[in-house]
Amino acid sequence: MDDADAIKRCQQGDREVFRHLVERYQKRAVAQAMVILLNRDDAEDAVQEAFIDAFKAIGTFDTSRTFYQWFYVLLRNRCYKLTGRRRPTESLDEASLLASQPGMANETRLALENALRSLTREEREIVSLKYFGGLSYDEIAAHLQIPRGTVMSRLFYARQRLQGKLSEV
Amino acid sequence: MKELTCEDVLISQMAAADGEEPEFSKQQLSTHIAGCANCQHELKQLQALDHLLAGQTLSEPHVDLWPAIENRIAKRTNRWQPFALIGLLLVIYKLVEMLPARDPGMAFKLVPLVIVVLLFVFIRENPFRINTELVLER
Repeated sequence: MDDADAIKRCQQGDREVFRHLVERYQKRAVAQAMVILLNRDDAEDAVQEAFIDAFKAIGTFDTSRTFYQWFYVLLRNRCYKLTGRRRPTESLDEASLLASQPGMANETRLALENALRSLTREEREIVSLKYFGGLSYDEIAAHLQIPRGTVMSRLFYARQRLQGKLSEV
Repeated sequence: MKELTCEDVLISQMAAADGEEPEFSKQQLSTHIAGCANCQHELKQLQALDHLLAGQTLSEPHVDLWPAIENRIAKRTNRWQPFALIGLLLVIYKLVEMLPARDPGMAFKLVPLVIVVLLFVFIRENPFRINTELVLER
């Protein structure tokens, strides 16, 4: 079942179909929420709340966007609400942001991860959408609801800060 | 024509490296870069970072959020039903009570009370219990 069918059936009141959307996107959503919140429990809470928001608002789903683009705005709002009352950050072993890559030294991955953690949440988010989400500038603009030009400049400054942090190591 | 700053050049050049349409022409960018040691140095560093990040993926943890979400959704959608039912029962009760030349007796008068008690049993709430925990309302 594709997302469009699932959404149509959810709009007709089929609650069980919403499960497909949750199961399809929950891992990606938790990983992206962790980039913003830097905490696994908070990330799961935010994703759960965002899916409830999505269920409540499914009747207003904008068909010109993909489900995940639409959902990401809800997720982002939930993450930003949670950042005010966040729990202490877990150690790196418990809440690793980056997956291990074959051929990459663990120290390099940890250095990169530490540098990412030292960025602001907006900087981490845009770097994540570009590199780990593989999104184009237009797609990032749609996800963050900002102009394309702002994506270009924000991404540039985030990269510059990240490079600076890595040089300090 | 607007004079290019190093920042304009770097932003545009990195956009071009990402396969995006840069704000300035390739010729404008390469002319500036060729004569600017600062931009050459910055670009070299940013390209090294780009290379490092390009192969990375986010760690996707194993999660199963559906049971908790389903529970919350079910609670939300079922919440109105007991109240709709009690409303309907009370309307029926009132209509029966209004029937002329009929004395239903004391037991019938207690029906609304029974309905309300059943409602509290159904929604598992004790109206006489005082919540001792502080709940902060927004």
